[in-house]
Amino acid sequence: MADARLAADDLVVSFPVAGGHTLRAVDGVSFQVGAGQILGLVGESGCGKTTAARCMAGLLTPDSGTVRLDGAQLGARRTAQQRRAIQMIFQDPYSSLNPRLTVRRMLRELLAVHKLVPRPAMEERCRELMGLVGLPAAALDGLPAQFSGGQRQRIAIARALAVEPLVLIADEPVSSLDVSVQATILRLFAELRDRLGLAMIIISHNLAVVRQLSDQVAVMYLGRIAEEGGTDELFGSVRHPYAQALLAAAPRLHQRGLARPDLRGEPPSPVDLPSGCRFHPRCPQAADICQHDDPLPRPVRPDSTHIVSCHFGADPVPESAVTPLTG
Amino acid sequence: MNPLLEVRDLTVEVRRHHRRFRAVDGVSLSLPDGGSLGIVGESGSGKSMTLRAIMGLLPRTASVQAGTVQVAGELVADGEERSSGDRRRHRLAMVFQDALSALNPVMTVGAQVAEAPRRVGGLSARAARERALGLLRTVGIPDPARRYGSYPHELSGGLRQRVMIAIALSTDPAVLLCDEPTTALDVTIQAQILGLLQDLRAAQGLGIVFVTHDLGVVGQICDEIAVMYAGRIVETGPVGTVLDAPRHPYTAALLASAVDVDDVGRVPQAIPGEVPDPLRLPPGCPFQPRCPLAQPDCAAGPVSLRDIGPGRSAACLHYDALAAGPPGAAPVGPEHG
Repeated sequence: MADARLAADDLVVSFPVAGGHTLRAVDGVSFQVGAGQILGLVGESGCGKTTAARCMAGLLTPDSGTVRLDGAQLGARRTAQQRRAIQMIFQDPYSSLNPRLTVRRMLRELLAVHKLVPRPAMEERCRELMGLVGLPAAALDGLPAQFSGGQRQRIAIARALAVEPLVLIADEPVSSLDVSVQATILRLFAELRDRLGLAMIIISHNLAVVRQLSDQVAVMYLGRIAEEGGTDELFGSVRHPYAQALLAAAPRLHQRGLARPDLRGEPPSPVDLPSGCRFHPRCPQAADICQHDDPLPRPVRPDSTHIVSCHFGADPVPESAVTPLTG
Repeated sequence: MNPLLEVRDLTVEVRRHHRRFRAVDGVSLSLPDGGSLGIVGESGSGKSMTLRAIMGLLPRTASVQAGTVQVAGELVADGEERSSGDRRRHRLAMVFQDALSALNPVMTVGAQVAEAPRRVGGLSARAARERALGLLRTVGIPDPARRYGSYPHELSGGLRQRVMIAIALSTDPAVLLCDEPTTALDVTIQAQILGLLQDLRAAQGLGIVFVTHDLGVVGQICDEIAVMYAGRIVETGPVGTVLDAPRHPYTAALLASAVDVDDVGRVPQAIPGEVPDPLRLPPGCPFQPRCPLAQPDCAAGPVSLRDIGPGRSAACLHYDALAAGPPGAAPVGPEHG
């Protein structure tokens, strides 16, 4: 993909924590997303997916690594235009909307501050934005508290779209919504991608959401990308034991009986990372090499865009080379 | 033989802005020994309110208007009296969604687990500590002696939820009432907690009532399911048959709206319209304005639960139309692409 709309290269973000330690929340993460494409970023709490996204949105400055928009590197201080180009929406639309502004005032303020639309055309633009997110024009008169969760998320999306972004980053956009409403919001994202040609990053812990919506998927674990690839290819043949465990643990509508993924314990502290492969203490397939050597990302087949960071993830796996870890 | 937990015609009224509405309207549930029942529905369906009414933990604005709750044949609550908390407390225990706000932040987790054995069980401090350590071990907390002195904020979400389950178990309850206990957890941790609940059921014959909005979770750990809408149960039965072949249009619509990681060919269908305002419920069946199968008779009068097959009931006049297989009702087998 030569013409990525948004590309992150080798992002590293660390935070100081108590006791003089450093927490590496994002530890060398790269990905790119093209116009009209959706990248799904999956992983559990603390894996760094939100931190990586905040770097791309310019809400956080990485320790090292670059973010490029249409090939141009974004500096620590972004121009107003660059800030407008990448918009982010959050899990809880209630706390990210000003409770005392009507939807109309909120949108008009944005349009005026960014000098996007002359005053007489503002009402028309506000109505157009409501149309884009599937709300009636009458919603412009409402306050956030008067809407349901799904409608509030639509309002948050309308606000992001008001500044005509090129990239939309959504952090757990449907996690706080009822199942019955999630479907409509997911469809809205797909529509916006197709109609506006937006590049989108959807962050979710829900594999079903990501599989439904994304063109590309990246699975993160403890600040690194464990596995990435085209959605169909990756889900068709999940290679990383962590991604396999995530998939096994996902609740399914027509599965009876408990899924007990083969996964030990909980993620270790990112302050004190395990040696070698950072997944090895929990990995059911860990071998000696995993304790010492940090696996480099490798394609599952030569020339494949399906990348896995596991010593045993790539084709072919010679059975004799695997010495199971005992004890 | 009496069922472990039997709820009959439970009705809860809530006051809001000087008006009253029925948040729970004539709900009956039955749980056999060691059984597990999942209650599902959208926000505002009354599923959590049902659970809180059973536990006797209703907010001040809500009150039980009618109905009885029996545990192992013993009446622990009825509509007339409100102060049956003590009798209820020992037989029922509750696990909440948000362990961080349910636990006391300035008390060690060990002391919180030991509190009920000491105060209610009358154990000595030393015996209560031993009991708490045993409970922490039962719920799978590694190195309980070290964790005993931890404060809730020092633990991960999964460990906090295990502590809350240990507290719930500390009174030797017969039934564990779980209100979205895994919603805030990551999927792999969720699987571990569900595994723990399943193990407790098997080892101690504990009955479990599990409230969730996640149909997939219910399918994994429950034998029976009750689907709630607008304060009423609209469909109930064995979890496999209800989820694979729903006989209430609302159950079918909920299933059709859900995303499933194995089932990407199917585009999730949102349920048209909105959950009705409880102060202005539509006439007849409350789902009728959103229902694809609605006929004029659906709005004519109340539609009550009726038997529709072995162990199954549904509150729908036209459920046989679903048996013919409209969209969304067909069972979909898992298929790996």
